[in-house]
Amino acid sequence: MSSTTPNQIATNALRRSQLYRRHMAMSAAFEALTDSTVVSCYGTGEGELKQAQHLGLADLSTLPRAGFKGLGTPDWAAGQGLQLPVQPNRANLQDDGTLVARLSQTELLLASNLDGLSESIANISLGSQLPERVYSLPRSDSHSWLVLCGSQAAATLSKVCGVDLRPHKFANGEVAQTSIAKINGVLVRNDLGETLSYSIFSDSSSIEFLWDSLLDAMAEFEGTAVGIQALRDC
Amino acid sequence: MKLLTCPLNGPRNISEFTYGGEYHPMPDHQQVAAREWAEHVFFHDNAAGVVIEWWCHSASSYWFLAERNTISDQILRTFPADEIFTQRIDFEPAPEPTINATPTAGESQ
Amino acid sequence: MSHTSRLSPPFGSLIDRQQPIHFRFEKRNYEGFAGDNIASALAANQQWLLSRSFKYHRPRGVLTMAGQDANSMIQLPSDPNALADRVAISDGLEVMGQNYSGSLNRDSGALLGLFSRFLPVGFYYKAFFKPRGIWEKWAPLIRKKAGLGVINQDYQSEYYDKQYQFYDVAVIGAGPAGLSAALQAAKTGAEVLLVDENASLGGSLNYSRLDAEGIAARELRQQLVAEVEASANITAMTSATCNGWFADNWLPIICGKRLYKVRAKQTILCVGSLEQQAVFHNNDLPGVIMSSAAQRLMHLYGVRPGKTAVVVTGNNEGYATALDLLDAGVQVKAIVDLRQQPEYNEIAQYALSKGLEVKTGYAVYAANKDRSGLHLGSVEVREIISQGVCAASGETIACDTLCMSVGYTPTYQLICQGGGQLSYDDDSSMFTLTNCPDNCQIAGSVNSHWQLGDVIADAQRAAIIATNELGLSTQALPDAITLSQHQGPNFGWPIFAHPKGKEFVDFDEDLQIADIINATRDGYEHVQLVKRYSTCGMGPSQGRHSALATARLVAAATNKTVAQTGVTTARPPFSAEHLAHSAGRSFYPAQRSNMHYRHLEAGAQMLQAGAWYRPAYYGTTNQRESSINNEVKNVRNNVGLVDVSTLGGLEVRGPDAAEFLNRFYTFAFLKQPVGKARYALLTNEAGVVIDDGVACRFSEQHYYVTATTGGVGNVYQSMLKWNAQWRLDVDIANVTSAYSAVNIAGPNARKVLAKLCSDIDLGSEAFPYMGVREGTVAGIAARVIRVGFVGELGYEVHIPQHCGEALWDALIDAGAEFSIKPFGIEAQRILRLEKGHIIIGQDTDAMSNPTEVNMAWAIAKKKPFFVGGRSIQELNKAPLKRCQVGFVVNDLNAPIPLESHLVLDGDRMTGRVTSCNYSPTLNKPLGLAFVEPDQAEAGSHFKIKSSGGVMVDAMVVELPFYDPETQRQEL
Repeated sequence: MSSTTPNQIATNALRRSQLYRRHMAMSAAFEALTDSTVVSCYGTGEGELKQAQHLGLADLSTLPRAGFKGLGTPDWAAGQGLQLPVQPNRANLQDDGTLVARLSQTELLLASNLDGLSESIANISLGSQLPERVYSLPRSDSHSWLVLCGSQAAATLSKVCGVDLRPHKFANGEVAQTSIAKINGVLVRNDLGETLSYSIFSDSSSIEFLWDSLLDAMAEFEGTAVGIQALRDC
Repeated sequence: MKLLTCPLNGPRNISEFTYGGEYHPMPDHQQVAAREWAEHVFFHDNAAGVVIEWWCHSASSYWFLAERNTISDQILRTFPADEIFTQRIDFEPAPEPTINATPTAGESQ
Repeated sequence: MSHTSRLSPPFGSLIDRQQPIHFRFEKRNYEGFAGDNIASALAANQQWLLSRSFKYHRPRGVLTMAGQDANSMIQLPSDPNALADRVAISDGLEVMGQNYSGSLNRDSGALLGLFSRFLPVGFYYKAFFKPRGIWEKWAPLIRKKAGLGVINQDYQSEYYDKQYQFYDVAVIGAGPAGLSAALQAAKTGAEVLLVDENASLGGSLNYSRLDAEGIAARELRQQLVAEVEASANITAMTSATCNGWFADNWLPIICGKRLYKVRAKQTILCVGSLEQQAVFHNNDLPGVIMSSAAQRLMHLYGVRPGKTAVVVTGNNEGYATALDLLDAGVQVKAIVDLRQQPEYNEIAQYALSKGLEVKTGYAVYAANKDRSGLHLGSVEVREIISQGVCAASGETIACDTLCMSVGYTPTYQLICQGGGQLSYDDDSSMFTLTNCPDNCQIAGSVNSHWQLGDVIADAQRAAIIATNELGLSTQALPDAITLSQHQGPNFGWPIFAHPKGKEFVDFDEDLQIADIINATRDGYEHVQLVKRYSTCGMGPSQGRHSALATARLVAAATNKTVAQTGVTTARPPFSAEHLAHSAGRSFYPAQRSNMHYRHLEAGAQMLQAGAWYRPAYYGTTNQRESSINNEVKNVRNNVGLVDVSTLGGLEVRGPDAAEFLNRFYTFAFLKQPVGKARYALLTNEAGVVIDDGVACRFSEQHYYVTATTGGVGNVYQSMLKWNAQWRLDVDIANVTSAYSAVNIAGPNARKVLAKLCSDIDLGSEAFPYMGVREGTVAGIAARVIRVGFVGELGYEVHIPQHCGEALWDALIDAGAEFSIKPFGIEAQRILRLEKGHIIIGQDTDAMSNPTEVNMAWAIAKKKPFFVGGRSIQELNKAPLKRCQVGFVVNDLNAPIPLESHLVLDGDRMTGRVTSCNYSPTLNKPLGLAFVEPDQAEAGSHFKIKSSGGVMVDAMVVELPFYDPETQRQEL
């Protein structure tokens, strides 16, 4: 019997975020991405690009993710064509836009590009049997994925996180496994073009709490929720 | 708030960590006298000076060891657990249970 | 009122005369200017009286003008004990005095002062010690008299928050030393934070006189501040207080409604010094002020301190103040110089050249009230005969202002919090601070340097040390600045006892010379004991102005030196802070299952277990009992559905997966068949039961192990810690949040599940009790586990987290024809109790070993090792001290026992109840209790002291209460 990871599951319904109701209350417009829905924009979406460049929060929890760990992981992943960051707590982008974060010597976190079509994740997830000492982790389900972006993102994070994440101290591609609003999470700086951006992966059951906490911290800087389209436009 | 340097994640506020108690090698649980076993479980050196302690970085669930001076509360060094635990530990099969086992020296104390 | 006291520019650097502001004090209208604080604006209007003192209700007013004393505490609408010399005025602000009965001007409480000799130090300890209980009678009265401000209970909450900040160098204090240190550090590219509690950068350069003409300080300030403002890498924070020093330069800095949690790699404390008062009769009268307060009033706020002034001084700074007063048009009646042989500097000589009357070797022996009784009217000046002793008579000089310039203490609080040592030289009467914490320097007057050149050089040197340490510079370190050989600013004994007392050592607590001396005579000779006995230094200003005088008095009374006596420990916070600064914007994480909103829609009452929201029961609160009972009955007779997503889930995978579990849990796992679940009981090294779950073997190398909701975090960490030592070839992952899960339970569970699950044979032979399968339920990939926690045919269905709501909907839909109903954790607790299943943490405590809780069956005895094994072995050698039994209460009229109610045998406590509920299935209360082994036999009875002290008879019965043959869960 092989173990089933949630990534391999075809659901009978379009996957939706646990923040679905909050998005609806904010007049979100959704778009479908393969087997899931994601907020395209809120309201008419007017001015959302500017908002994202200033300070925006996007919920990408329905986009594909994968995780692998175990002693065999680095060699196997490299064999699958992934370009791995050399050091732990670093991340890079694959050619197809997939984010690969190395959380330790032997653990990887993969997150899809903004089209929700990550060849890297699809290929790896389809590879039926993992070799010895490579273990999959259900990152699409265990963790939520929020993106905090814009010039005020670092100032916002300084209200919820005790790590110095200012852009000149925390380079693009750096990873911090830390506590964000008292929730453990993985925080990756992955800028969207010129726009400062942090991806926050944290416990999926805490997503409402984290979403609310971040929006509250953002209010002082006039930050709001933004849809995925604004991120793509950055 | 103190800083603690995690070998994997670097210096962080100590609130990001869980204390895992003093490190001391486990005695042979099958051979050791009851008294010594009890000391292993319940008594801690609580030494004034440099001690080795277990710490876990909560966000990454990474366990490591720290040398700390308990007098000055200075953390002298942190290092991965595999510096001490270099190889797999296995245990001898349990001895056949003996009826009316005679108390060991430790127990008679 | 007109602004008769306002001076023209350049006096009043902080105020904007074009911007009048109107506010009220004691219900009267006042006008001030933008930049004024309450105290300065009132002073400009000749209103010097601000509040009444804590104990004797004496009139009090401006003392330091620096927010360092309790004399200027006033009441704001929602802010008691605010500092009048800190809070800026604003239009419409309503300010009241504090601590008076009747009116501020005529306080009937002031009569207490007449009885002060009947209120000696330690009065409360002595007077209300006997008879027992008397204190409770007096306390409300005394507290009313002695209280400070009043809390506004209709306070509208405001938004306070916190923010982390990071700097290479934090410089605390922005006087000449702080500005110079910041500039020096910034030159190397360091990111510098410069913090000052005052509204304006520059510290003493804003108000003190550094040259005869009185222009050098302002010029230097302008130059340094301009440089700081031009430095992009210096962040200057004014009106900000660094309220503590914590390990590794962790600095809580309060500014406005925000608490900044600053981490600095290096800290330079340029926190300066605090001017001290002279101690003499009526030294607390409004009009008696620090000389620096007079200078601040004039230079910062353009307020003339009075019309006629006397300066009492023990140094040359008093002469500088006299010159300032002259410039402001104040008539200086005399300079009373305590020194026998003054060593004049250039400024003092300039003052002397003005022909001022100087009385050298004289003291102010007493201050006298004016006709209002609320302000200084004159001072009595006498020649000093010996230390603290004055001639029998002297002269009286009429004046409305007395400026005191008799010395300083370094602002040692932050440094001493970091372990710094404060020492005192009895010859020079000066302090030194040593033993600063790592990565922390001190510079300027706090480091005993008083000459401006020395101060700046010292600060630059400290900055070089800091930036060299950071690797930002490799500058040669200048030699340490040697201490000046000139006469220091501290006069050794500015303390003059008076037969009528009222020479205040501690203004906050109304403590006089005799109180301190008497404390030592009562046997409290150590300065720390004097503090606790007399409450000296325990008031709002935390000994800022009493520590030195107290040390001197205690030293003299105990025949020690001041150095030997020392001062009391300084602890954070440096100054009073609003609770809101600590409370503001705290995070209380909340976890919700994917089905959370379905529970709400179904009318669930949610409760928080740890961070998780869980449905307690479904229904209105006034139908709690019946809702829970119906949920129980529906599971027993039909089919129910409960959200168990919060259950911990751990993946244990790899060649050593079985070996790992075999070592970690008490049971044997090596021979566990694939497709089976096995109970997993966890003990710690002491053999105490700490968690449980089931270990599901999905393949040779793959276990999925459940753990309790509250325990999974610790279980996971513990697994990793053990394997960091064992180094088994296994991977452990916490997948709790990756799975949504339900338990569908009841006689009809199979029928419901079968409608949604075609790829698992659910037949009782094909999928028996404790079997585990993988397949799909409602098209969702699922792990299905046949468990019996509630004692009925039941399946736990674990599916990917995001599918939780979809699965819930599908099961509710499929179960509709069987009248499926959701049940909450209250019903679940009853159901499991009926089956005699324990909940770890509720039915166990920090001492429970497996045998006590009837779990000996879950211990594998032939394993080479498991955590807790040896301890359990030892525990089992000793006779059992207690055991857990099931009991029923047959008297249906008895109050139902609750958790932790005691089991009594006569007067002897022999155990306690761990769980008890009314069982809708058995129609009587039943529970679990720890009892002594001889009470444990089925059929025996014991007594429980239930609610209201009622003794309830309980009868021991065999477990489980329900379905003793355990047939129902194996259907």
